[in-house]
Amino acid sequence: MRGIKILERVLGTIPIMFGVAIIVFFFIRLTPGDPVDIMMGQGGSISAGELENLREEFHLNEPLHIQLWYFLRDAAQGDLGYSYVLKQPVTALIGERLPATIELALGALIFSLLVAFPIGVISAVRQNSWLDRLSMSTAFLGISMPGFWLGIILILLFSVQLHWLPVQGRIKLGTGLEQHTGYFVLDSILTGNMEALKSSLLHLVLPSVTLGAPVAAVIARVLRSSMLETLRSDYVTLARSKGVAEWWVVIKHALRNAMIPTVTVVGLQVGILLGGNMVIETVFGWPGLGRMVVKAIFDRDFPLIQGAVMIYAFTFVMANLIVDVMYTYLNPRIRLG
Amino acid sequence: MNSNTPLLEVNKINSVFPSGDKIVRAVNDVSFTLNEGEILGIVGESGCGKSTMLLSLLRLIRYPGKVESGEIRFRGDDLLQMSNSQMRAMRGKEIAMIFQDPLSTLNPAFTVGEQIRESLRLHNIVGNSNAPWPFDRVQREQEKQRVLQIMEEVGIPSPMDRYASYPHQFSGGMQQRTLIAIALACNPKLLLADEPTTALDVTIQAQIMNLMKQINQERGTAIILVTHDLGLAAEFCDRIAVMYAGRIVEQGTVDEIVETPRHPYTQGLLNCRPRIGERQQTIRPIDGNVPSLANLPNSCAFASRCSFVKDVCNEGPIPLFETEHGHLNRCLLTSDYKRLPEWDWDSIVEQERAQ
Amino acid sequence: MEANQNVRSPLEDQLYIWRIRLEIWWQNFRNFVKALSVHPLALAGGILVILYLLSAVFADQITVHNPIQGNLRIRHMPPAWEDGGSWEYPLGTDSQGRDLFTRIVYGSRISLSVGILSVGISVIVGILLGTLAGYFGGRFDSFVSRLADLLLAFPFLIFAIGVMAFLGPGFTNLILALTFKGWVEFFRLVRGEMLAEKTKEYVEAARVTGQGHVAIMLKEILPNIIQSVFVLGTLRMGYMIITEASLSFLGLGLPPNIPAWGSMVAAGRDSLLVAWWVSTLPGLAILFLVMAINLFGEGLRDILDPRLKLEG
Repeated sequence: MRGIKILERVLGTIPIMFGVAIIVFFFIRLTPGDPVDIMMGQGGSISAGELENLREEFHLNEPLHIQLWYFLRDAAQGDLGYSYVLKQPVTALIGERLPATIELALGALIFSLLVAFPIGVISAVRQNSWLDRLSMSTAFLGISMPGFWLGIILILLFSVQLHWLPVQGRIKLGTGLEQHTGYFVLDSILTGNMEALKSSLLHLVLPSVTLGAPVAAVIARVLRSSMLETLRSDYVTLARSKGVAEWWVVIKHALRNAMIPTVTVVGLQVGILLGGNMVIETVFGWPGLGRMVVKAIFDRDFPLIQGAVMIYAFTFVMANLIVDVMYTYLNPRIRLG
Repeated sequence: MNSNTPLLEVNKINSVFPSGDKIVRAVNDVSFTLNEGEILGIVGESGCGKSTMLLSLLRLIRYPGKVESGEIRFRGDDLLQMSNSQMRAMRGKEIAMIFQDPLSTLNPAFTVGEQIRESLRLHNIVGNSNAPWPFDRVQREQEKQRVLQIMEEVGIPSPMDRYASYPHQFSGGMQQRTLIAIALACNPKLLLADEPTTALDVTIQAQIMNLMKQINQERGTAIILVTHDLGLAAEFCDRIAVMYAGRIVEQGTVDEIVETPRHPYTQGLLNCRPRIGERQQTIRPIDGNVPSLANLPNSCAFASRCSFVKDVCNEGPIPLFETEHGHLNRCLLTSDYKRLPEWDWDSIVEQERAQ
Repeated sequence: MEANQNVRSPLEDQLYIWRIRLEIWWQNFRNFVKALSVHPLALAGGILVILYLLSAVFADQITVHNPIQGNLRIRHMPPAWEDGGSWEYPLGTDSQGRDLFTRIVYGSRISLSVGILSVGISVIVGILLGTLAGYFGGRFDSFVSRLADLLLAFPFLIFAIGVMAFLGPGFTNLILALTFKGWVEFFRLVRGEMLAEKTKEYVEAARVTGQGHVAIMLKEILPNIIQSVFVLGTLRMGYMIITEASLSFLGLGLPPNIPAWGSMVAAGRDSLLVAWWVSTLPGLAILFLVMAINLFGEGLRDILDPRLKLEG
């Protein structure tokens, strides 16, 4: 049963992916003007003959639905077009920048989970204590705060005033890190380069905190409210009446059930992580996908923007697929019908 | 331990919940005793504090509520004086509880078998290896065998197939049997049953009550049955205590309560009970509602609904009179209490002390 | 009149119905105000929002300096409470010598109008499509629902950035980018409620009495849904404002010389080391506004629609 449900969900993402690609395909229609000119962006001047060749190459003389068909076919094969500004295939450009972005997103996700879970649980167990009030006020601040502003405040505080943490980039110059995977933390562990490890971790702190803070705030709030509900439930009383120790009642019986609604919210928050990514990478000069896209927007490098938006959407869909599977695993009522 | 010591001796417990600027007194000066193997019924309308009383016995009242004063002596030891870990060792092992709504009481995230096994593991009933989780396979297997046996005993058919089922896959009756299995896992001396059949169909009700009776007879487990159904209690119990607004108003054997009820409230309860086979019966409901537990009168709490009420009923606290041996009644008018010519409350108390 | 007192003209009937309606609304409004007064935080949020609104409307009267044209001789002047500050420029000046307070006050116009318009249009589109889809179902419903599902596959900010990239900067484009996806949540809310409401007895009763579809939708069902929509709209407004600020911060919102809070923060980053206030104070304005809206919105949710659970 479980296998079938999961398979169903995996297959269900395929039409969504195609739909996403279709919507992104129509993005180019939002811009008035000749598609070739638009696609070329500020890629330089070319002759009329070359322009005609490009038209052929992009099937721009064909009707719209044929163009769409080629676009989808290429996308399905992993070909997201060609950036005339950077003179490289979009897939290669994205692949190059992706590790940096994933490293940051994972850092932020880990930070937010590490912060949100203890806070959510303790706030619920000690409802209305000063700790609860303090953390929930902070969480409220967290959901009302623009991420880029928090980043600037943190830079001012920890880099400019205290000199604890670096301001910009992924790693200090001159650590001599050999790159294998593109994930600097992983690379420095693989090559045993302690200096690089320390530097790359230190560089990760502020961006991860900035990107993760609003996510942590939302998760903590949801977890707290669902914990309050499960802690009041009859099965928690039953567990106590069996003689289960209080902390184990909280972790095993209450938290386990409070995870079910929380996991859904974590999935939605991945969207915030991805969206915030562009902004936060700009704030911290983090050489990832987000900063590349922002630059591409000013260069009017439209194929690159299309490709990147598609990748972000795919990642979001995949994240929600994982969440769905976890949800199915956590909730036997869904799993077994 | 002296053989005359009762299994449970509850002495003037008071349970309170602060609510806003008021204090809700859910349990007021409740005292009773329960002998080994005995079944005591606690009967009353909803909201009269019976469930809170039961939870008080296990010290499970949810914070900020608490047992304010009194003694709960289980085999002579006062539960209220125990440390938290001593109390945990009692829960499930010596005193187990069966709840009202089986579906919401079973944890939806764990299998039925797992939830019964948890009780065994908590009190190390089967084996005592204390090996940490991945290395406890032998003990786990033994425990599983024991769980299957218990499931069989409480009448869950084909326990092997049901072990890995989740609560929502069970019918209401099966869920209640599971709860009973959890309670019975450690073979407790005392079973607290909080309206165990209210959520079930009538036919299933009978099965569950028979099962509990059987447990009582075979294992000698004492039971406290909390119910709003006086008829059910009359069939099932040895003795009955009637609770009203957090106080016990009448207590006696089943015959005494059903045949010669003293307290007007008990009489009212008996009158509201429809009887099968009597065509021309009149059901007379008790008018009015239970007074709010947040501001109970010091005097008789039933006075506002009582059709025999006299002025004296509202003058001060009514003690529990012993009308016959073991038959207690908290009513001035229906107790065989010889009134003194000069009526005053102090003399009642003296009189009480003298007896 | 006296001759046929029992027979009322249709006009009188209508007047009577409207009088009753007005009384009910007035009663609801008074109950709401009463409920709000025991929610001090929500009340504080509401008052703060009104203050922001007033400052946006009367920006010309409140400020004395020009928000666009600066004086380079007084650039990077610190706020009044710091050394070298002056009450002439209470929050200091930016790198072009423009009064920061003036610019922040004018910035509230952008944030508030973007927030109100984008939520307003999203609400209208969402109600329209959601009502039709939920009430009639069928192919229209499945088409719009599919489209909504697809749009949900995009993270909100990414979608807005993508659309802005192709549309180019500008106020109308900003509103478009925010509403292209913004309507989806309202659509889903209204559609779901519609599906639930339309099977209830009172709708059945209205149908039996011969009311038309439009009348049933507008007069019977919609009033029962509108509170939830209102709560959701308030809670989404803060998020819209943050999104607008993020777009402006990236330079994708409005043309650069227009004082939007997000672009003010971005502009201040270059002078962070010498003039911290240029970047941080506009951000504080965003924070307070969004916090006020969220406080009000969550209070509203507690009062009007406790079961509505929204996060994100």
